[in-house]
Amino acid sequence: MEKSFEKNSFIKRTTSMLKVDFRRMFLSKFFYILLGISFVVPILILVMTTMMDGTVSVNPQTGKETIMQGFDYVWQILGSVSTAEQGGMDLVSMCNINMMYFAISALVCVFVCDDFRSGYAKNLFTVRAKKSDYVISKTLVCFVGGACMILAFILGSLIGGGVSKLSFEMIGFNLFNLICSIISKVFLVSIFVSIFLMMSVISKQKSWLAICLSLGVGMFLFMMISLVSPLDANPMHVILSGAGGILFAVGMGAISNLILRKTSLV
Amino acid sequence: MNAIEIKNLTKNFGEKQALKGLNMTVPQGSIYGFIGENGSGKSTTEKIICGLIHPSGGSVKLYGKDYTDENVRAKMGVLIESPGCFPNMTVWNNLMLQAENLSIKNPENEIRKMLKLVRMEGAAGNKYKNCSLGMKQRIGIAMALLGNPTLLVLDEPINGLDADGMRIMREVLIDVAKNGATVLVSSHILGELEKIATHYGIVRGGKMIAEMTAEELENSCRTFVKIGVSKKEIAKAVLCRKYYRVEEDENEYIRVYDDTTPEEIVTYLYGEGIVINEISTDKIGLEEYYIDLMKGKGV
Repeated sequence: MEKSFEKNSFIKRTTSMLKVDFRRMFLSKFFYILLGISFVVPILILVMTTMMDGTVSVNPQTGKETIMQGFDYVWQILGSVSTAEQGGMDLVSMCNINMMYFAISALVCVFVCDDFRSGYAKNLFTVRAKKSDYVISKTLVCFVGGACMILAFILGSLIGGGVSKLSFEMIGFNLFNLICSIISKVFLVSIFVSIFLMMSVISKQKSWLAICLSLGVGMFLFMMISLVSPLDANPMHVILSGAGGILFAVGMGAISNLILRKTSLV
Repeated sequence: MNAIEIKNLTKNFGEKQALKGLNMTVPQGSIYGFIGENGSGKSTTEKIICGLIHPSGGSVKLYGKDYTDENVRAKMGVLIESPGCFPNMTVWNNLMLQAENLSIKNPENEIRKMLKLVRMEGAAGNKYKNCSLGMKQRIGIAMALLGNPTLLVLDEPINGLDADGMRIMREVLIDVAKNGATVLVSSHILGELEKIATHYGIVRGGKMIAEMTAEELENSCRTFVKIGVSKKEIAKAVLCRKYYRVEEDENEYIRVYDDTTPEEIVTYLYGEGIVINEISTDKIGLEEYYIDLMKGKGV
């Protein structure tokens, strides 16, 4: 007698996978540690650079004086206006929200590689013939996690600005531009998440390798962040980063899916 | 219908050929004891059935459908090598994840039921990493049983279990099979397997060398006459003069495997002046059958 099996719809499969991943993320200490770091780092940067602002250091050999240049206003830690010079190697250009995209690589790689390292992937993939459920769920959950980190950084920046008594003046942009910039930055998370996810499914158990690969590949896209989400961003920037995010998530997701289908999962 | 039907399965790991055209038939509702030496291809076959690795060739059908069929796979329970649990999570949360993975309605009740079944009610709040090997194995079994699976694939599930754990395992698997599920279980503890298996498959060097039901095994197992004597060496030499296969077992008994009866042996030895302390007929068990098969002896 032929045995009948209940049909598993796409919605049912994806919902259950999302429940698993959200539960895992919100039960993970590592996620809260990263959130804490995202919150504390901008406070430390703003307070310390403000304290050191204007400090003169003298090179004892050449006698050349260097004046430490801190942030002029709080919003600089979230980016710069599009007319400003891009890609400088000064403190303001380096110590800003862009660093968070690298921290997100740790979140994604540890989160995904832990499935393989713990052996939980065996439970997952035995009952899931379609690997796309896994890729969709991981992308969405890591996007939410990454977005939380970006928002924690912004919150930390506001508090850090207040503590260091930096100006909240908006020069060359307004509140609407700032909101567009923040939304663009959040959308950009999906681009990085989909790349990091692909690196993680390539590396499987080896989270260190996944993080190294992610940082290496992410480096190429690092400069894009300032261009796509400047402080004077407008709805066009939001659409551009949103569309880019979706395209990357779909494209990279398809590659991740293919890797999972073609390689051994244990 | 067969729960698992494998034809000509091959798997290569680089130069090494782990499976060399393995054929296997697991009837629906059976407890299939999958036996073989280390590296014979048991785990590889089980991983292929579970979709964790891809075969190089051959076909694998589960309930008449390809092994990649998502609806069939959704009703599988698995314990391969070690339970797939997150070490820093509690036992309860690990089971909860699996319950959500399987879209189980009312997961709390189901988890409580499973924990009770494997006598782990008191350890629900423990971190998985702090559990002993036996406890971990019980958690793995509970996890595999979640969601009332139609097909259970268990790789060495008895490893690390104490006597009570083994008894629970036996009861659970017999119960699961009674309710219509199929169990594929591999183990090196053949004595335990013998108590529950309804079918056997013996694999060697990536090939199935024998497949049989428990009844067929029972019938094909050699009977022997077990003799206890004081002058063992003399008795053995005397018996060897008349019988073709005379062996000594680990308990100091002499075994005569030829087609004979205790009465005939008693008469023969009495005639030779040897006094018998004890004599009975017996059959070799699965373990001895397996060892004989591996040694290439006639069984």
